[in-house]
Amino acid sequence: MGDLAIDPGAEGRRLMRLFSRLVSLVRLLFYTGLLALGIMAAAGCLMIFHISQDLPKLPSPLSRIIETPQSLIYAADGQVLIALGEKTSISLDMVSPDFLNAIVATEDHRFFEHHGVNKLRTVKALYITLFEPGRIEGASTITQQLAKNLFFSFEKTWQRKFKEMLVAFQIEQANTKEQILEAYVNQIHFGAGAQGIERAARMYFDKPAQDLTLAEAALLAGLPKSPTRYNPFRHYDKALARRRVVLNRMVAAGFISADEAAKTDALRPALHDGRKDARTGSYFLDAMIQELVNMYGEDVVYHGGIKVFSTMDSRRQADARTAVMEGMARLDELMGLDKGMGDKPQAALVAIDTASGAVKAMVGGRDYYASEFNRAVNSRRQAGSGFKPFLYYAAFRDRKLHPASVFQDRPVAIPIKGAPDWYPRNFEKRYRGPMILKQALIHSVNSIAAQVVADVGPAAVVDVAQACGVESPLKSVYSVALGTSDVSIMDMAAGFSTLAGLGIYHKPFLFWRVEDARGRVLFEHIVKDRRVLDAATAFQVVDMMQGVVDFGSGRGVRRLGFKRPAAGKTGTTDNYNDAWFTGFTPSLCVSVWTGYDKKKKLKDKNHSGITGGRGAVPIWTDFMIRAMKNEPERDFLMPPDIRYELVGKTTGCLAVPRQNMADKADLPQPVAEDPAGTIRVALKKGQYPCRED
Amino acid sequence: MNLRAQNWHAPGTPAEWFKRICSVLNLAVLSVTCIIVISEFRFDWCERLVGNYLSFTNDTRPENGAIWDAGRHMVNALQSLDQMALARESAGRTVRTADSFSDLAAKLGPGEWATLDKARFRELYLSLPPYRRRNVVDPVRLVWLLNGGVTDRIFCEGRMGGIKIFFIDTQNRVVQQVDLDLQTLGNNGSHAVIPGTLENAPEFFGRIYPASLFFTAISRLPGDMRADLILDTEDLLSEKGLLGRVGVGNSAQDGFIRLGFEFQHLGESRVVEVKAREWAIWQLTLVLRGDG
Repeated sequence: MGDLAIDPGAEGRRLMRLFSRLVSLVRLLFYTGLLALGIMAAAGCLMIFHISQDLPKLPSPLSRIIETPQSLIYAADGQVLIALGEKTSISLDMVSPDFLNAIVATEDHRFFEHHGVNKLRTVKALYITLFEPGRIEGASTITQQLAKNLFFSFEKTWQRKFKEMLVAFQIEQANTKEQILEAYVNQIHFGAGAQGIERAARMYFDKPAQDLTLAEAALLAGLPKSPTRYNPFRHYDKALARRRVVLNRMVAAGFISADEAAKTDALRPALHDGRKDARTGSYFLDAMIQELVNMYGEDVVYHGGIKVFSTMDSRRQADARTAVMEGMARLDELMGLDKGMGDKPQAALVAIDTASGAVKAMVGGRDYYASEFNRAVNSRRQAGSGFKPFLYYAAFRDRKLHPASVFQDRPVAIPIKGAPDWYPRNFEKRYRGPMILKQALIHSVNSIAAQVVADVGPAAVVDVAQACGVESPLKSVYSVALGTSDVSIMDMAAGFSTLAGLGIYHKPFLFWRVEDARGRVLFEHIVKDRRVLDAATAFQVVDMMQGVVDFGSGRGVRRLGFKRPAAGKTGTTDNYNDAWFTGFTPSLCVSVWTGYDKKKKLKDKNHSGITGGRGAVPIWTDFMIRAMKNEPERDFLMPPDIRYELVGKTTGCLAVPRQNMADKADLPQPVAEDPAGTIRVALKKGQYPCRED
Repeated sequence: MNLRAQNWHAPGTPAEWFKRICSVLNLAVLSVTCIIVISEFRFDWCERLVGNYLSFTNDTRPENGAIWDAGRHMVNALQSLDQMALARESAGRTVRTADSFSDLAAKLGPGEWATLDKARFRELYLSLPPYRRRNVVDPVRLVWLLNGGVTDRIFCEGRMGGIKIFFIDTQNRVVQQVDLDLQTLGNNGSHAVIPGTLENAPEFFGRIYPASLFFTAISRLPGDMRADLILDTEDLLSEKGLLGRVGVGNSAQDGFIRLGFEFQHLGESRVVEVKAREWAIWQLTLVLRGDG
């Protein structure tokens, strides 16, 4: 029994032992922690010492960050189109207090309390990043963001973060909070090329930063998080949603009341739409800047403070943008595409001054902010029948053919060495029998074009196209005459501009002059005329192309109200992937392309294919009506050895006894439904149509 | 085992434990730790310390990072621009100081260009021997270009072996382009001197005459024709040695025929070629053949 007696002190001793162990453990943990902290502090010191040697030197004062000179690009009328590398620095008292409150509330509401790092927020962010997989919490203060923007890449590494933190400590130590905030608001990016609050205020609202209202200021304060995603020009609603977040944070930080936030949230500030297409927002500027970079390098273009005098005609550029936007809206409707649909056809337009080669306007897509890919210069597409004028020039030059030469429109088989025969078919899939070459171009008859290229050879067509300024590589195959080689919109505009100039080639160019900051001329474009085609033969082709606009596949130009002398040619690829119209007056040559970026048919609601006449001609006409407004009307200059004759459309024979009609240049073209079936043709000395005796 | 370790015993009661925990040493360590942590949160002394240290070492650290790179880009850009501008200024100086078109062509490198003012062009043009002027620009055309108000500026661009001269109107359009080869520009005639005899040049075959006969024939030409025969005799007058024979070229170009004058000097022969008026040579040939 005595063995079984319970020792009354045993429980107490057991508890005591447990307590002892607990206290020992706590003590161990405390001292271990202390030791670890000590080691960490020592390691931190060593690390700081080690890393600080590689840390970047801080400029003093911080305002030195905006000392890069800006490069200015001017339009042909002297208006500044864009300032590259521009950083307009202003002092804090020139910034709307609403904006300062908004940016502080949004980015770092304890900015005025911490010394570079928000420790609690950092610990919280660290915890979330480590223990909540998939979530990454940012904790950068305004000072850390400034340090990152000034010195570091956007690579996310611990080492980079640590360095950024150290630099933030130094920035805080060496500058006042006001200086830091001023540097910050002057260098943050707001998208659309605007760096700094002053540029952003002028870019988006066309006003100085000090005049920003709360609604505008809050909208801008939301942009630095993701300037592209919240770009108000492109995603106005997203930008407003982001503004709501900003306003809520301002309420939380005590800068505004909830009522004020609600009232502001209901406002939709008007954007400065005129700037939308300026800055790099213009495809024209992108192409020009690329060319400048190729010539001088990025340093000179972006940091050299150069002045570039572009060929862009601001008014025509605006007209081109409007014509493309409205034309594409009409095309969407024709195709039954809803506003919200993502995959929509694109368009491009290039306008060239035929007398000099100066590019007056360029649109590389329907919306720069949706796609920066410049289809005007970087995209190559099949030109379709748009290539036929080069074929007919080659035929007139190398064979004794002329616009009144008669060919049979019939199914043909062109034998090709070492390959199956080629069976070109007419677009309309019907054949009209005999017709003169002018009629063949007017109605874009493929079977006759194929017979002509079989006669003259594809090399001659390539030769003419290249002489006219087509720079894309061309395949010397028969089908080149039907536009199966890929060419750029710029190529087509340049090529037809040479025809418009009756054989005088001017290389297209985008700027007249480049000067350095001190006004010293670095480059000057001089216009050199280079005769590449015979004027009279070129005139014959131009006369045929006038027929296209007056009676043929391009007659939509007349129907839509453009009455000036004009010539051109439509182009549609077999599968309706591309719809072109390139046309010109004596002074302006314009090429318009429409189509999908991917190979996809342009089809209307009824599933009929859309041709150049339906897709591109309305855009071309709309642009030309606007662009030629107030310009004097001019006719194509007729070379002295050209005369007009009236001939039968199918026979090519004189409709009236031959007479020299050189002094009757204004002889009107017979109407399309001319019952006599005659048409006016331009013939050179020594060329005679047949006579019906 | 040391004595301290041997004497150590675990606290027997919670009170003893509490007593040991609240020892002076423990409290001091805890207090110091708490002070350090709280004061850091309150006064940010750690950040300030690091900030001060970094400010102290600022000048010894490298200028790297985005902002310094931008500065370097700017310096590079300004240097490049200065080089370009200096090249332009140098080309401009070349244009201003050149003695002649050939001097200009020799000094202006390929791709270099400068603007030439009208007066300077006129000066260089008039410094050419009269018969060479036509090779540059037709004199009548030049009167129109310089005095007719069509030319705004004259632009000069170097190329391999010569220069291009562009007469430009106010629209920057080229109204006249002149390509000049260095070889055809020699003002002192040295390029027209060919070592050897007249027999080496096939164009004179069958048309070589003794100098005395040639000059006798010239003396029989009418005075105005004689004066117009050879436009510039500078090259011939400056040549040393004895003139032995003269060859008459067999083809005309731009209204001129080449004459070859064979000189003997220190036992060596050389031929000096000059241009002569085609119509006057035609008359001279008749005299040389005895038909005139």
